[in-house]
Amino acid sequence: MNPTGLARLLAAAAFGLAVTGAAFAQSVKVGAIYPLSGVAASVGVYAKAAIEVATDIVNNDHPELGDLPLAKGAGLTGLGGAKLEVVFADNQGTPAAGQNQAIRLITEEKVVAINGAYQSGITLTASAAAERYGIPFLTGDSVAANLTERGFKWFFRTTPIASDFARIYMEFLKDMKAKGARIDSIAIVHENTEYGTSVASVVTSTFKANGLNITQNIPYSANATDVQSQVLQLKDKKPDVLIFVSYTADAILYAKTMKSLDYKPPIMIADDAGFSDPSFVAAVGNIVQGVFNRSSWSVGAPGTKTYLVNDMYKKKSGVDLDDTTARIMQGFMVLVDAINRAGSTEPAKIQAALRATDLKPSQLIMGFKGVKFDEKGQNVLASALVIQLQNGVNYVPVWPKDQAAAEPVLVYKGW
Amino acid sequence: MMKRAAWPIASAVLLGYPLIFSTPFQQRLGALILLYAIGASAWNIVGGYAGLISVGHAVFFGCGAYGALASYQYLGLPPIGGLPIGVAASIGIAAIVGIPTLRLSGHYFSMATIAVAELVRLVVSNSEWLGGAQGLSGPPVPRTLLDLSFVSALPYYYVFLGVLAAMLALTRQMERSRIGYYLRAIHDSERAARTLGVPVSRYKLYAYMMSAALTAVAGALYAVMFGFVDPESGLGILISIKMLIMAALGGAGLLLGPLAGAVILVPLEEFSNSLLGGVGAGVTFLVYGAIIVVIARLQPGGLLRPIPGALRKRSARAKS
Repeated sequence: MNPTGLARLLAAAAFGLAVTGAAFAQSVKVGAIYPLSGVAASVGVYAKAAIEVATDIVNNDHPELGDLPLAKGAGLTGLGGAKLEVVFADNQGTPAAGQNQAIRLITEEKVVAINGAYQSGITLTASAAAERYGIPFLTGDSVAANLTERGFKWFFRTTPIASDFARIYMEFLKDMKAKGARIDSIAIVHENTEYGTSVASVVTSTFKANGLNITQNIPYSANATDVQSQVLQLKDKKPDVLIFVSYTADAILYAKTMKSLDYKPPIMIADDAGFSDPSFVAAVGNIVQGVFNRSSWSVGAPGTKTYLVNDMYKKKSGVDLDDTTARIMQGFMVLVDAINRAGSTEPAKIQAALRATDLKPSQLIMGFKGVKFDEKGQNVLASALVIQLQNGVNYVPVWPKDQAAAEPVLVYKGW
Repeated sequence: MMKRAAWPIASAVLLGYPLIFSTPFQQRLGALILLYAIGASAWNIVGGYAGLISVGHAVFFGCGAYGALASYQYLGLPPIGGLPIGVAASIGIAAIVGIPTLRLSGHYFSMATIAVAELVRLVVSNSEWLGGAQGLSGPPVPRTLLDLSFVSALPYYYVFLGVLAAMLALTRQMERSRIGYYLRAIHDSERAARTLGVPVSRYKLYAYMMSAALTAVAGALYAVMFGFVDPESGLGILISIKMLIMAALGGAGLLLGPLAGAVILVPLEEFSNSLLGGVGAGVTFLVYGAIIVVIARLQPGGLLRPIPGALRKRSARAKS
């Protein structure tokens, strides 16, 4: 073979490689592990809908969504317009299934990154598998503090965690005190599984460290069918501030019991979850007027990008985005943005791009101050607003002042 | 003749499986089959041989899992170092629970075991020392080889295979020794066994404690592999039920019954979840449940029991 022949052959081979390379770039696979069956299945099914909406935003041209990364243009622009493909897996509500599915997604489906997994215990085992294989894992929703304390290099979290919420409540209450509210005695009522106990203990320690007094601590079972004794204890001690950490059915029960026993605390705060559930607001919203809550999500005015995203989601799932599903969608968007900036499907490059993430509030759907990860993988700009149920069944942002849509109304109104 | 060939063939298949099915997911599936087979074989000693249907074996599984991770958390040991602690705790609990409950007959015993398991789950959920509702986790990154934290499932596979082989050898030994005969006598008729002078209560307790100790081994191995346990995944009723279903499906009271059950059910569960899980809404469990129903309908004595059943039918026909 003469030298030109060889050169031609090499050129042809190189062309062939380039073509196959391009063919591989046609779609980029990302894994999503959520509870699609088991007790948390309803959240998982909503999470799936939220991620499908985010995928639609990436894969199709959505100029109306403004600065939202990847909304303009179709596909992943950093990867030559490659389509995003999400492989969903069911964690079945068990840590073992979560880890098995993470390994399957990595080794069989060849996903370049994983998003998930709602329950903190499952995020723990699934991300441990991703860490061993060197695949980026991002959670937008699991809040257990220990997740980012493991020295992992491939784990990232966009959501604010219990210590952030505790700080927000503390600062909010101090601000209200400056406006003349009494906050000398504080009662905390929480359900007694992981969520309730962990949030209550972080709130208690943060408050204590800042000179606020938790005078009453009332744990209860979320399956309870009667909470009169708990409400009577509160009625007896008359705390200035009452904080609830509850799921949905129990929150409804408390609201009804407080009305029937005619008990109203001066200030009532609820930690997201049950009190944010659309079914709670629909059922008893009219008898808990003036309750404060926290949220990083707000639908916003018609025409804004959050309003449009919510509209897309509502068409798919039939309900509005709430704080949890919106956090899940935001986490997924941050992960996809990093893959796009990496311009590669190589895990190490995606990891580097995640480390370099610096998203501004205008590029987010959540009310975070931005997204930027510290060396542990925690988003240091994650934050939440205090919202209040005012005039019927709408939560409105009331604090901090620069993000408020209305003034906080002091003295809990109830019904 | 066939029986003699079965053992070498089974051993060769088990030893060679991960070399033939060598993708990470297949190897992991193999390891999971063995892990569940260990748990179900441990249950089989009391549930199969002695015929005492325990629906609370999760307690002992939890002892092993919590023992392993608590000894990492508080003593800094590699999780597997907590194995003796978990086994000791399980034997202790088995003795305390067994003495009163083993006197109960039939489903009253089963109900008592459920009650004890749920009680322990609630106590652990509220015990901060054992991680409460949040659970305990193992070393996030392996510190030494002894932490037994591997990327590949291959080491787990052979460790589990060794444990299962040892456990089956022990059970085989038991089958042929006095305790084995006593247990079968108790299974067939407790009153007859007592009349013949079998110390029924004592031997039931021995079987219960032995089963508990081996179940704790399964729990410890689970904790080593997954590195996390919480009240639901370590002490939940589903764990007890899985052990029971696997043993019953393969053939309770048969040496290889639990392994046969695991060989069917674990891949079924993993594949149905992998293929259908992403669809959502629990299609997995519908399929899984339907197949269990079909097997239970066609082969009520367990998969490995067709021949004795057929024999009985034939002899019944001969008599008539």
